[in-house]
Amino acid sequence: MTTMDATSAKHAPEPARGRLASSLRGFVARAFSTNIALSGTRIRLIAFVFFSLYCVIAGKLVYLGFKPDPANLRRAAAAAAAAARPDLLDRNGEILATDVKTMSVFAEPRRLVDKDEATELLTAALPQVDAKELRERLASKKGFVWVKREVTPHQRDEVFHLGLPGVGLIAENKRVYPNGPLAAHVLGFANIDNAGIAGMEKYIDGQGLADLSGAGFSLTPQDLQPITLSLDIKATQALRDELAKGVEHFKAKAGAAAIMDVNTGEMIATASMPDYDPNTPPDVHDVNLINRLNVGVYEMGSTFKALTIAMALDSGKVTLNSRFDARGTLNFGRFPIHDYHAQNRVLTVPEVFTYSSNIGTARMALGQGVEKHKAYLRKMGQLTRMRTELPESSEPLVPKNWGELNTATIAFGHGLAVAPLQAMMAVGALLNGGYLITPTFLKRSEEEAKKDAPQVIKPETSEAMRYLMRLNAEIGTAKRVNVPGYFVGGKTGTAEKVIGGHYSKNRLFTTFMAILPADKPKYLFMTVMDEPQGLPETGGYATAAYNVGAVTGKLLERVGPILGVAPRPTPALPFPLLAKQGYAFANTPAQGGGGH
Amino acid sequence: MTRYLNIAVILALIGSAVYAYTIKYQTAFRAEQITKTKLEIKAERDAIAVLRAEWSFLTRPARIQQLSERYLDLQPLTVDRLVVARQLPERAARVDAIGDKIETLGLGVASTPAADPAKAPTTPKSKTKAAGH
Repeated sequence: MTTMDATSAKHAPEPARGRLASSLRGFVARAFSTNIALSGTRIRLIAFVFFSLYCVIAGKLVYLGFKPDPANLRRAAAAAAAAARPDLLDRNGEILATDVKTMSVFAEPRRLVDKDEATELLTAALPQVDAKELRERLASKKGFVWVKREVTPHQRDEVFHLGLPGVGLIAENKRVYPNGPLAAHVLGFANIDNAGIAGMEKYIDGQGLADLSGAGFSLTPQDLQPITLSLDIKATQALRDELAKGVEHFKAKAGAAAIMDVNTGEMIATASMPDYDPNTPPDVHDVNLINRLNVGVYEMGSTFKALTIAMALDSGKVTLNSRFDARGTLNFGRFPIHDYHAQNRVLTVPEVFTYSSNIGTARMALGQGVEKHKAYLRKMGQLTRMRTELPESSEPLVPKNWGELNTATIAFGHGLAVAPLQAMMAVGALLNGGYLITPTFLKRSEEEAKKDAPQVIKPETSEAMRYLMRLNAEIGTAKRVNVPGYFVGGKTGTAEKVIGGHYSKNRLFTTFMAILPADKPKYLFMTVMDEPQGLPETGGYATAAYNVGAVTGKLLERVGPILGVAPRPTPALPFPLLAKQGYAFANTPAQGGGGH
Repeated sequence: MTRYLNIAVILALIGSAVYAYTIKYQTAFRAEQITKTKLEIKAERDAIAVLRAEWSFLTRPARIQQLSERYLDLQPLTVDRLVVARQLPERAARVDAIGDKIETLGLGVASTPAADPAKAPTTPKSKTKAAGH
């Protein structure tokens, strides 16, 4: 630039034009003469040259300062590369999801010398890359484009040895799920940029992780605290295994199972069939792969009878000794309510429960009235969308015009469709002493869980419900879960599915709830199946006791030891509150039988 | 005199320059080492992450179940096989059957001194061992 100025000064407009030109010529002549008297002019010239030089430099600096940032390769690569995510651990510290480093190939199209040659060489080294598409990408004017994400070590070496200028390798984080489909619906999955797409992965992004990486903080795995979930991976494996076997055996369309700690609301294990492997993310819109526990809504059938009986007992109008007429049918205009195990006599409350009497529970709900029934179900969280950490959830299907008939049918679990996990929360509240605890997938303590949990029913009612569940396992429809040594209680539920506006006799949705142990409630087991089939060994029956009941029985026996539940002799006084109220019969083992 | 002083000062200057450069190069060397070690630590951490992932992949319950079903005769643990320690029967009183036999044979106590744990030779304490070294 110096020479430029000097020459422009030297070759200033030669033809003399006016005073300016002649004075300039004089200035130049004086500057380059050797006359010592003129050194002052020379010094001024030098000063001028240096001054203009510094002006140019300063100008350039200002220009550079205002120029938009030239695409910094390192930054572009860091922004494009998959960010680190915290590990997900199970409650015992086993890894459920973690990051591993993989290499990805990128290119800087502006620095590529020969784009055709580069395309040819790269597609030879990376056969999965489409040549035409790659050529288009390399032809773009971007500073940074991906050639291929997540290459194998062998491919990485090959690309490295090509030695193409403008083609580079960068380490990226890849999310791996070592347990494959285990608890896949809870974990969700992350996409190729390591952004959470579903499940807990999406939840932790919502907790500020996405904002941090979005703001340009490149997080290292050391910055991220692992997140401990409530799941127990060994119990989850046992659960999924038994459920998968059950779904296959009974040729069900779908199934789901879960274990919840009723005192903390922690989900210990969950499974939903069919499921998927989060390592190869599935189509998120495939309705077949939804989590049946919290996305699917179903009419829960007789499981709801537990809710109805608890409502009746809690109101104080009904006691365990109350009797309900279950003779014949209960008619609502053209709509008759039958009993599946019809006894055609007057039943006590425990009998209503163990024979799973539709008429008895319908009468109980009608005794409370429509408004009270509605308010009670709202209090139990059955009429509003339940929100857990999982981003996926469903609104319950509540009848628009809720009349007496609705109350009568909802009393035994038809006409109100809820997510199974929602029903589980309510049943958990019936059993744990009356605290409605929203299920969680994060580890938490009992104090934390009960801090905000409303007391929805009295502790005595809760104990009566545990007694009824226990009785049902001893002599009722839940005998299949009566594992000796474990003081188990259970309730079956069989709902007829609505097909084309009518309840279908042979398309069933079966549910099973079991509490372990019934005197000091800890674990609530739930198994549901969509359209299980009757088999020769079940006498063609497809009701809950034969399929989900059998599965839950096996599950209890298998998972009990894993969860550290020790067998013990039958407790002498399992239900002290009931004994105080004068129901001495509750504490003696039941004899005889009913149901199947 | 001044000349010697000059020489000394020049030597001191050269010496300090050499020293300063040594420090500078050492610093550069150390800085390089730190960078290298940091990279190594990062590589090790990545390797640990891979190994951890691999470990949990290989010990995933589904795989263990499959392997045990195929190669082991073990049965799943059932509830009736679990017993609380308190429920175990009391241990019977210790009977020295051999001693009794010797007694009945008349080879009595006199010939074999009773075992006295206090007199038994013991291995030297680690403390004295440490002192010896």
